[in-house]
Amino acid sequence: MKEVLRFENVSMHYHSKQGETVAVENMNFSVSEGEFVAIIGPSGCGKTTLLSLAAGLLPPTGGEVKTNGCTFGYMLQKDELFPWRTIEKNIFLPLEIKRKNTPENRERALALAEKYGLKQFLKNYPSSLSGGMRQRAALIRTLAVDPDVLLLDEPFSALDYQTRLSVCDDVYRIIRSEKKTALLITHDISEAISVADKIFVLSHRPAQVVATHALDFPEHEPLKRRENKEFSKWFEILWRELNV
Amino acid sequence: MKNEKNYSKEHLLYLKDVKRKSVFINVVRFAVLFLLLGLWELSAHFEWVNPFITSSPSRICKTIADLYQNGSLFLHVSTTLWETLLGFFIAVALGYSIALLLWWSEAFRRISEPYFVVLNALPKIALGPLIIIWFGTGSKAIVFMTVLIGLIVAILNMLNGFMSTDENKLLLLRSMGASKLQLLTKLVIPSSLPNFISMLKINVGMAWIGSIMGEYIVSKAGIGYLIVYGGQVFKLDLVMSAVFILCVLAAIMYALVALLEKLVIKNQK
Repeated sequence: MKEVLRFENVSMHYHSKQGETVAVENMNFSVSEGEFVAIIGPSGCGKTTLLSLAAGLLPPTGGEVKTNGCTFGYMLQKDELFPWRTIEKNIFLPLEIKRKNTPENRERALALAEKYGLKQFLKNYPSSLSGGMRQRAALIRTLAVDPDVLLLDEPFSALDYQTRLSVCDDVYRIIRSEKKTALLITHDISEAISVADKIFVLSHRPAQVVATHALDFPEHEPLKRRENKEFSKWFEILWRELNV
Repeated sequence: MKNEKNYSKEHLLYLKDVKRKSVFINVVRFAVLFLLLGLWELSAHFEWVNPFITSSPSRICKTIADLYQNGSLFLHVSTTLWETLLGFFIAVALGYSIALLLWWSEAFRRISEPYFVVLNALPKIALGPLIIIWFGTGSKAIVFMTVLIGLIVAILNMLNGFMSTDENKLLLLRSMGASKLQLLTKLVIPSSLPNFISMLKINVGMAWIGSIMGEYIVSKAGIGYLIVYGGQVFKLDLVMSAVFILCVLAAIMYALVALLEKLVIKNQK
């Protein structure tokens, strides 16, 4: 399998007048094409720094981030839909930014929106949509430019518990059926177990990978996984590792 | 939206109640106005107060009618209106542009900050003599005063709007590979629209302060001129009439901005 992302001895130091913060030190891991990888870590361990490094928004202060020429799509905690744009115009936003706003690309993005049930909302403004629908629109916006890898920064944490479970299911289904590679960052252990093929556990700051687990659930839908006996076993293992 | 026929009885009663309350508020508003005007008129008529000092609604009407008849009403109103509008638009346009530059360059922002703080605190009227010497005694000096008073407020308000752009939305655009110009046109400018409207509202007031103050210092015509002249010759009817005209004009200008706000900000939440 082709490698789409590799961190080689990556370090990230932040400088401010108060001093120097070591957010990431000697980080090593890799993600292969088609994998759904979850990274969990204690809060404040530099998870978001990691995604910014992967997306190329921050240059690492040490080591190397290899992306193999892949393109990335970023999905944030909140949907961040622009309230002055209709859903359709929101979905076209990355096309405009990347100057790929051609009829074919717009057609592609609209086909995605239609496929995943956003057709009736295309001319609506975000304020008239439910939280779940908005997050789905945000995902379609991310997919509009057909990125190779999706970077998900706790994309469900702003939703209430009920919505969260169903949106998680929803997003998982769409990512799988579009055959995308995904890197999910979360502090929610059960969310990680319910979606990932592989889990990396991070330590406190400076963040390092302390454990790697491959999950082999027979089920694929997040909600079904949660019913599996293995689920609570994994939960216990990961919970211990996080609290070392 | 539900059809009116489908509303329950309680809901209809509720709607009726809401409507009745709003009618009540409007009626009382006008009642207060008429009561005050009536009291003013009566107290002047029966000379409970000296109408020479307090004037009265009927005297104001008569003064405005006289001004209209001798043709000077239009001259004074148009002079002040022109100065105010010109100063307003220059201050807004220039303020917006400078705020954009300040948003663009952090160095420029930090270098100029103390200058803006001092200029903001400076009472612009202190520059009156300089303005007369530099720009003469015509409308130019008054427009300059208007711009001076509105400009700093416009800059600081807009810059505040630009700088409070949602960090996460900026991050989102950067992750798509947006350039600084794209950040500006796709996000910073549209998201600061409410700040722009509130800046317009503040600057309506500033523009009137500027033009009237400018006319106090130096003028040959205008509403501010009428007020100063009326005061000097003790024609307080003239002063009151000018203030009344000013009230009406300022209210119209504010209403226009409020209308613009309604048209522009439909979907911002």
